[in-house]
Order: sequence, then structure tokens, then C-alpha cells
Amino acid sequence: MRIELVAHTPDLEALVAVSMLTTTSGAQPSTLHERLLANPERIHDVVSRLEVQHGNVLEHNRLVWLVEATGDEVLDVMLDTRVLLFTRLDGGRWLMSGNLRAIAEYAEQKDTEFARGLVDSVKDAAPTIHASLRRRTG
Amino acid sequence: MKAKLLSYTPLAPLKEATGVLDARILLPHLGYTFAVERISRACSHQLVRHRVASFSQQSQRYITVRRLQERVVTPPSVEKAGGDEFKELVKEAGEAYQRLVDRGVPKEDARFVLPNAAETSLLMTMDGRSLLHFLGLRLCNRAQWEIRALADEMLGEARKAEPEVFNAAGPYCYQLGYCPEGRFTCGRMREAVDRYKA
Repeated sequence: MRIELVAHTPDLEALVAVSMLTTTSGAQPSTLHERLLANPERIHDVVSRLEVQHGNVLEHNRLVWLVEATGDEVLDVMLDTRVLLFTRLDGGRWLMSGNLRAIAEYAEQKDTEFARGLVDSVKDAAPTIHASLRRRTG
Repeated sequence: MKAKLLSYTPLAPLKEATGVLDARILLPHLGYTFAVERISRACSHQLVRHRVASFSQQSQRYITVRRLQERVVTPPSVEKAGGDEFKELVKEAGEAYQRLVDRGVPKEDARFVLPNAAETSLLMTMDGRSLLHFLGLRLCNRAQWEIRALADEMLGEARKAEPEVFNAAGPYCYQLGYCPEGRFTCGRMREAVDRYKA
């Protein structure tokens, strides 16, 4: 299977940080978002504190991959997780999407090349979370 | 009340990467994250019925409610009826909450006296197809006034961001060209369609 991340929610880790702070802060989410975008170090600090088992804060994003795979390979992934969405484009080309929580949970359950590829594909989009997932999944 | 589209997966790069030009095929793969601010807890209860969305809501377990009287949503019908009983009850609830917190009752327990009118804010993320469905239902004349006003704000934000997709969004009568409410129809489809015409 070959995967390539082709689109994702911009400023993804800022949204993770907004989500984390919204539950415990009296500030409005849009205010938190503006403040965080102006302060990337703060985003890194907040996201570094994330406990991955509190997964709902990882759901405010969408990542989209182009996947080259056989039907059986895709079926295996679909049977393993219900939260990655597939659309068949043509022949062995698929569009797959999900959020960071889907990736985190899949990578925790599966030690496969596909799972490692998924985690590595978010290295640029979500560097702090990528590092955390790499530490947890090896 | 305010709804702001904080971020979304843009359609254009996806079209380019896949060669798929029909936005309806790509819609389930797109994500939209809104900041929804200063709605009532009554409204947020309705929102979370949309199970395919993700929510992060201000927690009354952790955030102390101060000046409750200034942080409630008052329905227009209550205002119109004078609203004195409503204001009095909110005042009493706020004072009771504060007394309980002052006596050492945890916020997660003191909040049991707070009304549905108490304001809340949250982050909400939906995929494009679910967002179209949400707008179809909640922009309907039969929807409750607060969630309809919220859906109106969200539609405005979505149309600004992705007009190609969301100019076709509106109540289901606008999206479908007929009213799917059957015998519950409001009978004002023409008015609704005109209102949402892009």
C-alpha cells in the first residue's frame, strides 16, 4: 500500500490546543484560536501536555490521503477501524480520510507498515503530535 | 450568539490531487471546525444530537460560573411576556450556585442548580456531508429558534469559505426543491427558498 497526504485542515495543532483549552478556560474558543495563532510556542507547549487517551481533542481536523492499494488491502483496514473513510477513485486508487484520533488509535492497535506510514504522513502537519505518537508506538 | 468557521479542509487541493471535479463526492472527506459561542445549554443539548460531529465544550466541572444573570440566553417569547419570573429564578439559581461553591461543594455538583438558559461555548467539527444535513434540518422553519439562528450564522460562514459547495446549502426545501416534512410542512417553502437563494 502506498499513501500520500494530499490535504488537511490548516493549523491543525492550533485547533488541538483550542480544543484542550476550551473545556477548562472561560475564554471564548475564537479568542483562544486568535491568541494561539499569534504564539506558536504556546501551541507547542499546550499540545505537548496532551494525554493521547483523551482523544476527543484530536477530532477537530480532517486529513485526506491518496491511497494505492488492492481492494483486499483496503478491506483489511476498513475491518480494523470504522473511522477511516474510503472512496474508490479508479482501479487501485482510493481517497481515504480521517482525523488525528483515528490515526492515533489505529497506530496503537496495529504494528504494520501502513500504520507507521499513517503516523509519518502527519510529521509536517502536526509535528508535536507526530513525535508523541512515535514515542508511544515505537 | 456567534458562530465562526475557524478552519476547514479546502476543496481546491483535493480536486487537483484526485482529478475528481464533483464536489459532492469529495464532501465527506472535508472537515469544518466552528467556534460556537454564547449559546444556551438547551441549544447545545440539541447540537450534540448530531452524533457524527465532534464537540469540545466549556466544562461546568472546571469553569466557575460567575454573574449568571449576565450569562444566560433569554428566549424572545419570555422577554415578550415580561420575563420577571425568569430573571428572578436565574438570580436565585446564580446565588444558590455561589453559596454552594462558597461552602466547598465541588463545581461539578453545584452546577446542578444552573438553568438550561446558562450560556456555553464549544468547538464543533463536522464533515461536509454532515454539515449539509445539519443545515438542511436546522434551517427549516420548524426548527427551534436558537439552533436555527446558529445554523444561519454557520451557513454564512460556510458560504464565505466554500461558495461552490455551500451556495447549494439551506433548509431541505431549498436543497431538494420540495419540502420533506410531509404533513408537518410550514407551508412557506417559496419564502424559505427565496431567503436562501445565493
